[in-house]
Amino acid sequence: MQTAPAQSRPPRTPMKGYMREYGWAYLFILAPVLLFLIFTLYPVASAFLMSFQQYSVMGSEWIGTDNYTRMVKDEVFWKSMWNTVLFTVGTVPVNIIITYALSFFIFQMKDKWQTFFKATMYLPAVASGVTISVVWLAIFDPTHAGLLNRFIGLFGFDPVIWLGKSDTALFSLILMNWLGSHGAGIILYLAAMGGIPKSLYEAADIDHASGWSKFWRITWPLMKPTTLYLLVTGVITSFQVFISVYLMTQGGPNFATTTIAYLIYNTAFNFYEFGLASAQSFVLAALIIVISVIQFKYFSSDVEY
Amino acid sequence: MARVEFRNIRKEFVDDNKGTFTAVAGSNFVIEDKEFVVFVGPSGCGKTTSLRMIAGLERQTSGDIIIGDRVVNNLHPKDRDIAMVFQDYALYPHMTIRENLSFGLRNLKKPKAYIEQKVAQAASILGLESMIDRKPRELSGGQRQRVAVGRAIVRDPQVFLFDEPLSNLDAKLRVQMRVELSELHKRLEATIVYVTHDQVEAMTLGERIVVMNNGIIQQIASPTELYANPQNMFVAGFIGSPPMNFIDVTKEGNVLRMEGGSFTIPDAMARGLSKYENKPLILGVRPEHISGEDLPGTPNHEYTYAGKIQVVEHLGSENLVYFRIGNRTVTAKVHPETTGYPGMDKTFIFNFDKVHFFDPETEQRIDW
Ligand SMILES: Nc1ncnc2c1ncn2[C@@H]1O[C@H](COP(=O)(O)OP(=O)(O)OP(=O)(O)O)[C@@H](O)[C@H]1O
Ligand SMILES: [Mg+2]
Repeated sequence: MQTAPAQSRPPRTPMKGYMREYGWAYLFILAPVLLFLIFTLYPVASAFLMSFQQYSVMGSEWIGTDNYTRMVKDEVFWKSMWNTVLFTVGTVPVNIIITYALSFFIFQMKDKWQTFFKATMYLPAVASGVTISVVWLAIFDPTHAGLLNRFIGLFGFDPVIWLGKSDTALFSLILMNWLGSHGAGIILYLAAMGGIPKSLYEAADIDHASGWSKFWRITWPLMKPTTLYLLVTGVITSFQVFISVYLMTQGGPNFATTTIAYLIYNTAFNFYEFGLASAQSFVLAALIIVISVIQFKYFSSDVEY
Repeated sequence: MARVEFRNIRKEFVDDNKGTFTAVAGSNFVIEDKEFVVFVGPSGCGKTTSLRMIAGLERQTSGDIIIGDRVVNNLHPKDRDIAMVFQDYALYPHMTIRENLSFGLRNLKKPKAYIEQKVAQAASILGLESMIDRKPRELSGGQRQRVAVGRAIVRDPQVFLFDEPLSNLDAKLRVQMRVELSELHKRLEATIVYVTHDQVEAMTLGERIVVMNNGIIQQIASPTELYANPQNMFVAGFIGSPPMNFIDVTKEGNVLRMEGGSFTIPDAMARGLSKYENKPLILGVRPEHISGEDLPGTPNHEYTYAGKIQVVEHLGSENLVYFRIGNRTVTAKVHPETTGYPGMDKTFIFNFDKVHFFDPETEQRIDW
């Protein structure tokens, strides 16, 4: 940058001149940096320290890795881990397929209808998770009056206690997730589909490609970057699933829907074991990072950008 | 291989807001088996639309398309046995060159050995062996273009369709690819329909050329015929570079009058133009048929015009000299050693063996 001799401005007091020119910039950068330090880095760091302490407001006690050993010996921790994995495996791939299928159909429509469906599909994303959970509580109502029970009643099934029994509770949460918001994913997929030149499909038509072949050999591979993105973000979100559990099942019955995020909440705010909760949080964070890295490594190997 | 025929083909695009637009207005032609035919014309004249109708990517509004001895009106592109090279190549970006080349044959469920042999053959014809396992983005423009051609030739189609395949290449590569395409045509003995808006490409590649304008075929002829006998002012002005000069003249007996001069024409010519007695006419003469010097071998010295040079362009092998007749600028392509400079009074000699006359109303050439 400083290759040409600065003739017009002699370098009398370089530091002073520099500050006059760039000082404002640092001031502007300072604000977000401070926010980050105070509200992100400090809590994370102190939580990390906390995870090695028996935390108490009156004075914490350093207990080394005791929190971590307690955690791995706790059956509920492993149960919640398993639930989280089940929930993720049960929701993310299915959601991607549903999102993709919806996008595929919307993409065939005329512009006007595309806009309409994009908007309606996105709507749930604007509604709060609390509202949606309340609505689903009504849908899952265990009596004959429940919406879902009435629906399956049409096919002659008896009412199911969706959220109240340990063998259906987690599945109910998964089902709710399937029918939840696909709007953001749809918008991403539609943008990606629109980005594929039409001439590729015309070339494929001339190359004797069947509809299936066009889908499987052209569209799907070219959707890979979008799919990867949805996969990674989907896994991260589902590992942190909390609101629906908190509002609809409180982790029950018999820990059947206790996810890690809910366990952390419970440990901290019901049992006031902040040290243990911190340890659990760090394990969750580490897990998410590891899984994301693996996904990127594995899936981005032949992604075409 | 096969012939391609258009019978009264019309193509209208209907837009809810903008109404109906006629892109092709009643095309008729026959492309013979193994012939290399070029569609040429200015942007928007309906070349691509015509080609896409042959391919089946666009459905004609009316008329029949015949490939070989089949009416293909209702056939899907894959059933027409054609191959097409797109203007943007339309290579599959996520497939290697090998996969790009074999995609069509794999869809046809050909045996593996056959596919391998075909791909290897196409790669060797087009010099793609060394890059066969690369992806399209790792190739240069010229190489991609060859892959696009390769994807067409592995299938041994009845007809090859090319849509401006060279327009994305730089000038040097374009000349090279032009030669390669010409050779490819000879080697494959294929029927080729080739679209371009570049008249040089049309003249060098086409055995016959279909000149279009505004969705209407203007003339179908060989390059030499188009050049020597353009049927109307559009063709005359489109084929040849620099384009043919048009000069407003009036016929009075054996004399053609124009601003600043006149030509005395032979009796036969005057008789042929008798319908235009005392009426305006357009004289068409190519720049290469106006010389600035009394060169040996110039057939007739009687057709001279005293003009004032406006601009001289030195192209090396020749000079372009611009002067005015009336309000039209006239270009003469003269010998590079001809003296001339802007402002100089110069006598130009017209080769009347090579001139054309056009009706100012219909713009059609007058046969005299
Ligand atoms: N899908 C379409 N809808 C409406 N109009 C169209 C459509 N495709 C082409 N046209 C119109 O038809 C006319 C002919 O188009 P075409 O693409 O055949 O031109 P072209 O001769 O290939 O031109 P170029 O040299 O620019 O490629 C143009 O005026 C174009 O605007
Ligand atoms: Mg075109």
